[in-house]
Amino acid sequence: MSSPLLAVSGLAKGYHRGGKAIAAVDNVSFAIGPGETLALAGPSGSGKSTIARLVLRLVEPDAGRIAFEGDDFLALNGAALRARRARLQMVFQDPLAAFNPRATVARVLNDPLRIHGIASRAERPRRIVALLERVGLSPNLASRAIHEISGGQRQRVAIARAIATKPSLIVLDEAVSALDVSVRGDILKLLLDLQTKERIAYLFISHDLGVVRAIAHRVVILDAGRITESGDARAVINAPQSAIGRELVAATPKLHRTTAP
Amino acid sequence: MSVLRRFLRTPEAIAGAIILAALFAMALSASLFFPGDPQAIAGPALLPPFQDWGLPLGTDRLGRDVLAELFHGSRTSLAVGLAAAAAALVIGAIVGTLAGFAGGLVDEVLMRITDAFQTVPSFLLALAFVSVVGPSLGVVVVAIALGAWTGPARVARAEVLSIRERDYVAGARVIGMHPLEIAFREVLPNALPPVLALSSVIVAAAILTEAALSFLGLGDPNRVTWGGMIAEGRTVLRTAPFLSVIPGVALVLTVLGVYLAGEGVVETTAVRRSLS
Ligand SMILES: Nc1ncnc2c1ncn2[C@@H]1O[C@H](COP(=O)(O)OP(=O)(O)O)[C@@H](O)[C@H]1O
Ligand SMILES: [Mg+2]
Repeated sequence: MSSPLLAVSGLAKGYHRGGKAIAAVDNVSFAIGPGETLALAGPSGSGKSTIARLVLRLVEPDAGRIAFEGDDFLALNGAALRARRARLQMVFQDPLAAFNPRATVARVLNDPLRIHGIASRAERPRRIVALLERVGLSPNLASRAIHEISGGQRQRVAIARAIATKPSLIVLDEAVSALDVSVRGDILKLLLDLQTKERIAYLFISHDLGVVRAIAHRVVILDAGRITESGDARAVINAPQSAIGRELVAATPKLHRTTAP
Repeated sequence: MSVLRRFLRTPEAIAGAIILAALFAMALSASLFFPGDPQAIAGPALLPPFQDWGLPLGTDRLGRDVLAELFHGSRTSLAVGLAAAAAALVIGAIVGTLAGFAGGLVDEVLMRITDAFQTVPSFLLALAFVSVVGPSLGVVVVAIALGAWTGPARVARAEVLSIRERDYVAGARVIGMHPLEIAFREVLPNALPPVLALSSVIVAAAILTEAALSFLGLGDPNRVTWGGMIAEGRTVLRTAPFLSVIPGVALVLTVLGVYLAGEGVVETTAVRRSLS
């Protein structure tokens, strides 16, 4: 991993709540290589979502550096930042909240194609069909409203939207946590398939170590905004060194042998 | 159709709908029934109502047909009321969306401006504006809108503040959407329902303000207005009270109709939203 795709160093973000300062993210550093999956695991409130938002420039850090595809990602602004966003996408936890309640599936997929000039207006309907098929959905869904399809279908649409711009990295914040167990497995399979075929890297955020072991190459365990341990996903989960790591393993009862990537 | 049926379930909404329908019918048929100039002399002066079937509501001080004036006046009331309210809602929604979505300095500046407009009583504002610019239909519309956009702006801003924290707005940023497109295409349409709920009150207030301006002689001089009719009738209030009472009643009924129908719409949409 000579030149990482994403390199985060010394990232920090604090919030004020009730006059008290809390460090949501405190001196966090990690790197992700091309086509790699790094999991961020940790209990609720440990700063996972804040890291996701920092990496995506949805909130600005108090300190730290983010290098993405070799460039200083924090130095980008305005149109340059919007253009670069094509390479760095996100899938949210709640697939209903992640879409405009008035949107249709076609509009959701049309937007990134239009904004980044990926396909001409005439060509876009075909691209939308291709994207739907790529994530295992029927093209008939295109005309449906977002609220008319199931949660699992919605998350597939979210993935289709994320891959529409051919990103090199997708941040998935608890992307399968809200789904039924049966649907969850299918979505994980889809993610693995996309990764092998298109070499997309994932920053995969989850509190569920069972899911982490099924998809991640490496894992970083967070507690109260700090990294407590990190390493090979299976090694860390089989023998966690930190107290919080052991707690997370204990909180995941069905750590049965799922096929590791 | 079921929306219409739900709308017509409450007696208030039915009453409002009937009044508004009558009003629109009047406005639309004014030049059909009264093709001539409503300000032309049609008969003897101060003819009381129900005396002559050619002039059912009598004539005014100059012998003009009161019914014709009433029909043509409904056009002015409706046109000014709807146009001013539409302008106020559009300006308010845009200002509120920009303030709420941009935050920071933009929000600060826009809300100070909103405060300033809200501090001046809206009728005085309209009065001052028309006095300075001169009375014409367009100026009256702008004058009324100037005093009416602050309410929609505040409601839109509050709604936008809560919507902008939603995941789907973050999602729009992630796909690289321009902030203005996010504000006006993604956020504004979802912030509209509570803003539109203000429209009946704003239309009603705009109709009243127009009438008050005309009453003070600041309406468009080339148009018949109910406010102007009331003012005209005031000079002969003792001998011919009907000249003020007829347009006055029309005005009250119109405002009531707009308000009742508006409440009905709000009720209907509220039910629909709680159902979904
Ligand atoms: N916008 C915010 N304002 C104030 N506090 C916040 C905000 N976002 C996150 N926090 C706080 O930061 C900490 C980390 O939150 P988060 O990153 O959402 O954790 P996780 O995703 O791991 O559950 C929590 O204590 C949370 O309350
Ligand atoms: Mg979270």
